[in-house]
Amino acid sequence: MKILAIDTSSMVASAAVMDGQKLLAEYIVNHKKTHSEQLMPIIEKVLESSGTSIREIDAIAAASGPGSFTGLRIGAATAKGLAHALGIKIVGVPTLDGLAFNLPHCQGIICPIMDARRNQVYTALYKWDRGGFYKLMPHCAIALSELLEEIKRREERVVFLGDGVPVHRETIRKELGDRADFAPKNADRQRASSIAELALQALERGEGQDAESFVPFYLRKSQAEREYDRKTKPEGCL
Amino acid sequence: MEFGMRLGKQLGPGDVVCLEGELGAGKTVLTVGIAKGLGIKTGVTSPTFTIINEYPGEIPLYHIDLYRLEDGDEFYYIGGEDLLYGQGVSVVEWASRAEGFLPEDCLWVSLKRLDESEDFRLIELTVTEKRRDLLERVSKSEDTGY
Repeated sequence: MKILAIDTSSMVASAAVMDGQKLLAEYIVNHKKTHSEQLMPIIEKVLESSGTSIREIDAIAAASGPGSFTGLRIGAATAKGLAHALGIKIVGVPTLDGLAFNLPHCQGIICPIMDARRNQVYTALYKWDRGGFYKLMPHCAIALSELLEEIKRREERVVFLGDGVPVHRETIRKELGDRADFAPKNADRQRASSIAELALQALERGEGQDAESFVPFYLRKSQAEREYDRKTKPEGCL
Repeated sequence: MEFGMRLGKQLGPGDVVCLEGELGAGKTVLTVGIAKGLGIKTGVTSPTFTIINEYPGEIPLYHIDLYRLEDGDEFYYIGGEDLLYGQGVSVVEWASRAEGFLPEDCLWVSLKRLDESEDFRLIELTVTEKRRDLLERVSKSEDTGY
């Protein structure tokens, strides 16, 4: 089972080739958001340097969201095009799951935060338990202040990572003090290898969908829903 | 046009200028000035039909007209948010249609014709406290009354 994974949900463009035994190749670039120009050459590079023909690929793994709208569209369009042409499945892996998976066997709570602008973050809370992780809090698009309130209710240490960290680091430090930790630079952004590993696990469980039915997961409400919510409750999670 | 150039010279990546004014108030002319101030050589035309016009440059300019959009959702689904928070300067006409998507520190520019005059405009520039420095820099560079 060989899998080609891509993540274009943020500034980072990343692609990886992984099989059941090992990570064969990975490429990560975090310099200017030109995914539409960069993604295909990156895919070509990981295939070429791992000596993999595109026809050997059994499934495409794509970071499904949340994230940058344009980035997610480029990733989804690329995954759909490749999967359709090759007649193989797409496995969508939530971006936040991929980020949390950058910190395997981490102690305490893992909290990926992606900058959703206007002091909002895309986030979720994870915890490792032996071989895998589980979610303590589902994927949310919420105000940073609300996330910090939620974390204060728990007693454990929290490791933050993602592109929301440089935006909110000082506030987090001020509010949580020593309880907050930040992931090192080698692990704090999207990596296609994390998406690949989670996708392989999902395939073993029989998950995956055809090219036509795959859609990005924007984690965002429509204007009508937002207006309804404004009247009933402040923010929402999925 | 001159005011646009002065403003354009002071703008940087991620700045968003929201333009308000009636038809013929000079929104496009002001944008031409901003483009010149940014050093963009290509001619600027109205984006009412195309919704978004992109002008490449050292700092790219995104000229956006939301007149033909229904609501913020449509703005999101054309990837507007990625432009506003990107590496360029955005000039947005009918910005109120994208309320809830605009950055906190937008500049608001309102254009009014004075007494049906062809040549004079009242220009009001509103910024948040955080961007007060920009306001000062623009006004310092001013010499004639506009």
